[in-house]
Amino acid sequence: MKNDYLWDGSGEPDPELQRIEKSLGRFRYSGKPSEFPTADSLQPKPSHFAFFTSSWTPRFAAATLFIVALIASGLFLHRSPTEFSNTPAWEVARLSGSPRVGDFSLASDSSKAQLRVGQVMVTDNSSRASLNVAEVGEIYVDPGSRVRLVESGSNRNRLALELGTIHAAIWAPPGEFVVDTPSATAVDLGCAYTLHVNDDGSGTLRTTLGWVGFHKDGHDSFIPAGAMSMTRPVQGPGIPYFEDASEKLRTAVHAFDFEPLSGADREQALRTILAQARRRDAFTLWHLLARVNAAERPQVYDRLASLVTPPANVTREGTLALDPQMMDAWWNAFDLGDISVWRFWEQKQAPPLLKKAAR
Amino acid sequence: MTSTAGARFAALRWSSVNTAASSNIRDETLVRAAQDGDRVAFGQLYQRYVRMVHGILLARVPTAAAEDLVHDVFLQALRSLAAMREVSRFGPWLAAIARNRATDFHRRTQPNDSLDAQPGTAEALENPQRQIAIEDSIALLNAVCGLPDVYRETLVMRFVEGMTGPEIAAHTGLTHGSVRVNLHRGVQMLREKWQRCESPAEKEKGS
Repeated sequence: MKNDYLWDGSGEPDPELQRIEKSLGRFRYSGKPSEFPTADSLQPKPSHFAFFTSSWTPRFAAATLFIVALIASGLFLHRSPTEFSNTPAWEVARLSGSPRVGDFSLASDSSKAQLRVGQVMVTDNSSRASLNVAEVGEIYVDPGSRVRLVESGSNRNRLALELGTIHAAIWAPPGEFVVDTPSATAVDLGCAYTLHVNDDGSGTLRTTLGWVGFHKDGHDSFIPAGAMSMTRPVQGPGIPYFEDASEKLRTAVHAFDFEPLSGADREQALRTILAQARRRDAFTLWHLLARVNAAERPQVYDRLASLVTPPANVTREGTLALDPQMMDAWWNAFDLGDISVWRFWEQKQAPPLLKKAAR
Repeated sequence: MTSTAGARFAALRWSSVNTAASSNIRDETLVRAAQDGDRVAFGQLYQRYVRMVHGILLARVPTAAAEDLVHDVFLQALRSLAAMREVSRFGPWLAAIARNRATDFHRRTQPNDSLDAQPGTAEALENPQRQIAIEDSIALLNAVCGLPDVYRETLVMRFVEGMTGPEIAAHTGLTHGSVRVNLHRGVQMLREKWQRCESPAEKEKGS
């Protein structure tokens, strides 16, 4: 096969690739073999979930084969075969109360079950549970929640949070774990976050580590660690802001996003956001750029440019026209995450015809 | 991690018998032995996967930090090994720990830290030609690290760590097709990027 040199070093050597190999080879790992402690000397290390609450310490007691077999056989007796698939299941562990997977209640301390594609896990007001897939991450489900497994595979894992609260810590590559809610979809971009959905389908997303993409119908919000975004069924995800932003800014953003404002009130909300924004809040203004009208946009740009130096090759005119490359350059200037990760995910979601057209 | 004295003894005996032929031993066997407390088996896994781990880290953190973090990643893997269920997926599991550790590194360090740590600076000062070559290498590595995650990781494993496509696929759990695509598109993007940014050495020669 052509280009086998790139693949496995065989075939006709490519001089350019050889030069790259030689140049980069100097960075090859040269460390001495590590010495590792004995098993006895290994102290249990706190999980990176510790930033949530201590009572969330994972309780992965081994489930007995009997219970697993009972659950599995029960599921197949009570459900039609089409509701299940051969895709990998998520492991459910009971943390408190009696969470349910399908028709089965996990009542004992060591209870475990599997959540398969199409199945729903429900926690009542006194139940909590965890969901786990070794290569993807861990999800903690609070009381009063309803979670459906939509998709499970080596590169795509999707849950639907229909109601309640989940706390996710994800170590799968960015873009491989997605959670649908009634009003927006959360895309993990390498992070830990808390997602909450109310009875009316509205919700909030708070990022603890890394960043999350929150989108619906062309509305994208990127939420870095320490920030949050609200979402509503009609409007979709709102403008995100850091939780330590001023009360005035947060109230004005909420009003701007979700309240039916008169012209004067809208203008006042916009003025408040711009006046209250700190350098750290530049990312909020970046989101605002795409949500104001053309007449309002120049004042947002001017405030943004006064807080953060415009990146190279970014112009006022281009930004006011929402030039995609310039908008991406702005985002990367905030140093909150590389937006190419998101663009790559977006491209993967596009229908085949759109992808072809994009080329 | 708990293991009985009997299991420990059995694991040690297994190691002494099999170390010489360890290259033929499947990952699953080594992982199960390591789960039983066999440090020799874990050492074999380290030898097999250290280039992948270093490659993943180098694609995300400064050069000097990548070397330091390698040990952290394996130590974390050792701590978590007992809880690992799908032993046949050790490589992807370890890769996820490495990516997570790199993310954690950025969370804990200043955002202005640069990827282009200066390896071999002392020797470069004594040898200007070598300094130009090193600057070229750093610029090239930075160009690779400026590519999207999926490409830079694969290119670093291929060009820095010297892994072949089949090795990258076997270690990371990616399909051969995905690795081929990443290599070809990554090299193509690197070429375009490299042509746009003249290397420091070229600038030096041109001036």
